[in-house]
Amino acid sequence: MELKGAQIVFYYGLAFLVLIMAVSLIRARSAVHAALYLMGALIGVAGLFLLLHAEFVAGAQILIYVGGVVVLFIFVIMLVNVREEITEATRLFTRQEAVAWGLVGAMTIATVIALRREANLVPPAGALMEEPLALAEDTQRVGSALYTRAALPFEIASLLLLVAIVGSVILARTRRQEETFD
Amino acid sequence: MHEVVIGWALQEPTSVFGRFLEGVAAPKGIVDFLVVSFMLFAIGVLGVLSRRNILIIFMSIELILNAANLNFIAFTRYWQAMGRISENMGHIFTIFVIVVAAAEAVIGLGILIALYRNRQTVAIDEINLLKW
Repeated sequence: MELKGAQIVFYYGLAFLVLIMAVSLIRARSAVHAALYLMGALIGVAGLFLLLHAEFVAGAQILIYVGGVVVLFIFVIMLVNVREEITEATRLFTRQEAVAWGLVGAMTIATVIALRREANLVPPAGALMEEPLALAEDTQRVGSALYTRAALPFEIASLLLLVAIVGSVILARTRRQEETFD
Repeated sequence: MHEVVIGWALQEPTSVFGRFLEGVAAPKGIVDFLVVSFMLFAIGVLGVLSRRNILIIFMSIELILNAANLNFIAFTRYWQAMGRISENMGHIFTIFVIVVAAAEAVIGLGILIALYRNRQTVAIDEINLLKW
């Protein structure tokens, strides 16, 4: 479970990539920039999945999130024609952003200290799984678990996707289209 | 990870950089993944609370869901390394989270398009009526 050699370099690079992209996302002025930062953050999370030997989930993350959800966001940005965000001139309390970042920093330091003390989260040296799974084996295990233990949620997910497709079509159609249909 | 990619560093375990990495900076267990996950979650919550644009609030929600996914994967890896579980159900949970997030994004953006057609705005503080 412990990372070795270049894995450590990858870990720090990906962690900083994800966090910098996330901070840039919530500070971005234009929504298109935010979508691109979201894409960077999602790719970084997929890299962290690879470090944790979840190859299939990393691939699914790239395909579905980066290839699907972010593209959907960009299409919607194109449709709604967002202008740049204007911050209000009058605010009662203007330091709220600094206070929020300070709170996040303090909570992060507290979490790091608390988790570092938790020795149970570090597996003992003898308990390590010796050889990581091959790519095909990981996919095989995910697939077999998906079709045996998780078969019922899998079918429910297909129903959810059907409802999402029909619902989004009904929500997004115009009044003229509704009248034509009726 | 993959020996082909990282072989260069494993061949030089006695270099100063390699010893620094192995000794001081090496992530132990899953603690550091949990820290990244927590910081991602906190940034996502901050984005939801501080922005006015609905699109960016949606993207922050995606960040929060990704933080949860990272926790699932990290704990699956940990319990597998401990030998307690052989299945990777955390991966299954993560796949379902991705599916539900995709459906949620589709529905939310559909609502957003309908809203924009009626109100010509995506600022969340201008949308303060349940019926218009």
